[in-house]
Amino acid sequence: MAMQGIWSGTISFSLVAIPVQLVKAIVPGRVSFRLLHSEDYSPLARRMFCPEQERMVPADEIIRGYEIGPDRYIPITDEELASVSPERSRTIEIVEFIDMNEVDPIYFDHPYYLVPLKGGEKAYRLLVEVMRRTNKAGLAKFVLAEREYLVAVKSTEGALALTTLHYSEEILPDEDISPREGKIEAVEKSRIKKSIRQMMADFNPGKYADARREKVMALLKQKAKEKAPVEAPAIAEEEGAGPADLIAALEEIMRQVKQNR
Amino acid sequence: MAGGTIWKGSIHFGDTDVPVKLHAAIKEERIQFHLLHRRDQVKLRQQMICAYEKKPVPVAAQTKGFEVEEGKYIIVDPAELEQIAPESSRMIEVHEFVKTGQIDPIFLERVYYLEPDTYVEGYNALVTALQEMDVAGICTWTMRKRSYLGALQASGRILRLNTLRHGDEVIPATSLELPEIPLSEKELRIGSDLINQLAAPFQPEKFVNEHQKRLQKLIEKKARGEKVAVLRPRLLKPTASDQLLQALEASLKKVA
Amino acid sequence: MSRKVVEIAGRRLSLSNLEKDLYPSHGFTKAHVLEYYRRIAAFILPHLHDRALTLKRYPDGVAQAFFFEKRCPSHRPAWTETAEVRGDDGERLTACLVNDLETLLWVANLASLELHVPLARAASPETPDAMVFDLDPGEQADILDCARVALILRDLLSRLRLASYAKTSGQKGLHVYVPLNRQETTFADTKTFSRAVAVIMQKNYPELVTAKMAKEYRKGRVFINWSQNDSAKTMVCVYSLRAREKPVVSFPLEWGELESLAGLGDPERFQVIHSEAVRRAEEKGDLFREMLVKQQKLPHL
Repeated sequence: MAMQGIWSGTISFSLVAIPVQLVKAIVPGRVSFRLLHSEDYSPLARRMFCPEQERMVPADEIIRGYEIGPDRYIPITDEELASVSPERSRTIEIVEFIDMNEVDPIYFDHPYYLVPLKGGEKAYRLLVEVMRRTNKAGLAKFVLAEREYLVAVKSTEGALALTTLHYSEEILPDEDISPREGKIEAVEKSRIKKSIRQMMADFNPGKYADARREKVMALLKQKAKEKAPVEAPAIAEEEGAGPADLIAALEEIMRQVKQNR
Repeated sequence: MAGGTIWKGSIHFGDTDVPVKLHAAIKEERIQFHLLHRRDQVKLRQQMICAYEKKPVPVAAQTKGFEVEEGKYIIVDPAELEQIAPESSRMIEVHEFVKTGQIDPIFLERVYYLEPDTYVEGYNALVTALQEMDVAGICTWTMRKRSYLGALQASGRILRLNTLRHGDEVIPATSLELPEIPLSEKELRIGSDLINQLAAPFQPEKFVNEHQKRLQKLIEKKARGEKVAVLRPRLLKPTASDQLLQALEASLKKVA
Repeated sequence: MSRKVVEIAGRRLSLSNLEKDLYPSHGFTKAHVLEYYRRIAAFILPHLHDRALTLKRYPDGVAQAFFFEKRCPSHRPAWTETAEVRGDDGERLTACLVNDLETLLWVANLASLELHVPLARAASPETPDAMVFDLDPGEQADILDCARVALILRDLLSRLRLASYAKTSGQKGLHVYVPLNRQETTFADTKTFSRAVAVIMQKNYPELVTAKMAKEYRKGRVFINWSQNDSAKTMVCVYSLRAREKPVVSFPLEWGELESLAGLGDPERFQVIHSEAVRRAEEKGDLFREMLVKQQKLPHL
C-alpha cells in the first residue's frame, strides 16, 4: 500500500500491538489561494535560497541547525533527531486508562483519528469496544514531527480518536486575573439566569457556518461570472521548435507521409 | 501568570453586558531549528520562485489566485478581500446557551482566559449563573479582522472563552467507513478487565516533555563536539487476530 | 436525502443523494453515474491504477459550478489508498489513488463525474507511460478537423515505428496516445518530441494545424497541445464520463472507425454516450489496453 496518512506505526496497550495510521480529524475551512507571479500568472513555489551563493538549494543539501549565537549553529541531522526518542516515534504506548470526564477541556489541543492498518482490524475493534464499555480513554506519549505529545485515545462512533493534550506546565495559571471573592448580587444573578433560560438551545455545530468562507466563495463565483480565469503559460512555449536535427528528420518523414497520402 | 491582555471587549446578551479582557491560557515552548546549507552551514532564506521562469519573485510581483481548473485561476485583489473582512467590533455576542456536556471536545480549538474589566459584580454573577446551570454560551466576536465562533464557560472563579471549530471543519468518524468485526464475549470481558486494571486518575503533572529535555541534552553534547550515537526505532510486531485472546490473557496475568 | 450503505470486498461505503439529477436535461442521476462506473470498472480501473487523481466534482449537476480538487478529500474512508505527490507549487499534497471498485464508487458518489489523471504513475512522477497529442479544435473548427489531424499524426508516427491510439476527449477534440512504458523516457523527452512533431505538422498543414496556444492562432485550426506532456498536467482518463449536457464518455476509437467517421462528416457521430460505451467495451474489450503494456522507444533522430 502506498505511504499515506500523517504518521503510521503501532498503538499498544500491555501486550497487544495494533498497526495504525494517524489521519486528520479537522479540515481547515479557510479558502486556500495560490500565490502567482503577477506578470505571467505562473504558480510560485516555495524554495530555500542560499544568500551566500545566490542560488536555490535542493532539499538534499539542507540540514537543520540550532542557533547558539549570532550566525553560529549546531547542525543536527534527521537521523540524530530521530534517535532522541526512537521507541516513541513508532509506537503510541498506552500507559494507563483514565476517565475522560476528569480531564479539564483546557488540556485538549488537536484532534486526529487513528485507523487500523492491514492485520490490525480486529484488535483495533476490540480496543474501540472495550474503551466504549468501560468509558475509559488511554493515555500515552508519542513523538510526531520531532515533538513529543501527551495524547488521549478514546472511542468514538466505532473509531479511535486521538487528541493531543497540553502539558500541565504549558497551562498558564489564572489566579492573577481571577476576581476577588465578592458577594454575588442575587438580583443580578437571577436576572442573568432568566436570560439564559430564554436562550437555551441544543448544541448544533452545523448551524454555525463559517460566514467568512461563504463570503469569499461568493466573491469568487461572482468574479468567475464576470471574467474568464487567467491561464498560466505553457512551459517553454516561447522559444524555438526543438533540436535542429530532430526537426530535420521529422521534416523528411513528413515529406514521405505526404507523398503517400 | 496568565499571558498579557490580547484584546478587550464586552460579553453581551439580553440586557447583560460584561466587559472583559482576553488573556492567553496556553504557552507552548519548543526548540526552534533553522534550515542551513549542508556544506557551509549558512542560514537559508525562503523565497517564492516562478515555476516557469525559475527565478525569485519579489512580494510586489506576487498575486493571489484561486485555481478553478488545471492552470486556470481567478485573480483576487487584496482590496476585494479587505472589503468582505468582518467589521471590527468590541462585542462578544452570545446567541444561545447550551448544556456544557453537549459540546463534543473535538470542536474546541483554543482557550482564552477572560479577566473582569470594570464591572466585577456582573462578571461574578455571570460566572455563578453559568456554573449553577452548567451551561456554555455560544458566541461570536471579531478580533484582528477575523470573526470567531466560541463557547463561553465558567471554570472556578473565572470565565473562559474557547474558540470553536465550524461544523464543516470537523470530519465525522463515520466517514472513515470502518468495518464491523465480530468479537467474542470472552475477548471483550478480558479486554475490559485489562483496562480496569490499568485505570488511573488523570494526573497531568506526572507527564513532562522528556523528549524536549533529551533534545536539549543532545544539542549541548554536539555543541561540546561529542559524538552522538544514532539509534533506530523498532517496530512492534502486530498482534495477529487469532492470537488476540492469548495476548489479552497474558496481559491480564502480567498486570494482575 | 437517500442514503444507502453497500459493502464491497468487506468494505463499507455509504452512498448518498442517489436520486440527484446530475445531467438534468438527460434525466441521468447519481445512481446512473454509479451504475455506469460500476459497469465500466473492469475497463477503467487499470488506467487509473496508481495515478494521482484530480477530481472534478459537480455536486449540483453539470449545469452548475464544479469543484476542482487535486487533494484527496479529507472526508475519506480509512481504506482509501493515497499517495504523497508534489503539486506544481512544490507543496506536498495527498492525492487519491483509484485502485479498486470501492474507491471508484466512492469518488463517483462525490459527484466527481470526470476523472483526470497524469500520464505518469504516482511512484515515478517524472516517467510518463505514454506521450500524448491533445487535439483541440479552435473556433470554427470541429472534431472532423481533429480526425484529419489524427490520421496524419498516425501515419507520421507509424513511419517512426510508433504505434498510436486515439480516443475522443468526450468534448470537441481527440487525444492521440503513444504508449512508451519505459523507465528511461522522461517528460523532458516526450515534451521535446511532441513539440517538434506539432511544429512540423503546423509547418506542413498551416491551414489546419497550430502548435501555438494563443487564441488568435487557433481560429479555424486544430491546436496540437503538446504541453500536456508534463508531470504537472492531467488528461481525462479513458472511459471517464464528461460533464457535458449528455453523459458522454472519453472513448477509444479504432483507426478504421475514425477513418469512416471522418468520411461520414457528422461531428455528432463521434460522441459515445454512456450506454454505448458499456456495450462497446463489453463487446470489443479494452481498445486502450496497449497503453498499459506496449513498450516503445522514442526514436533517436
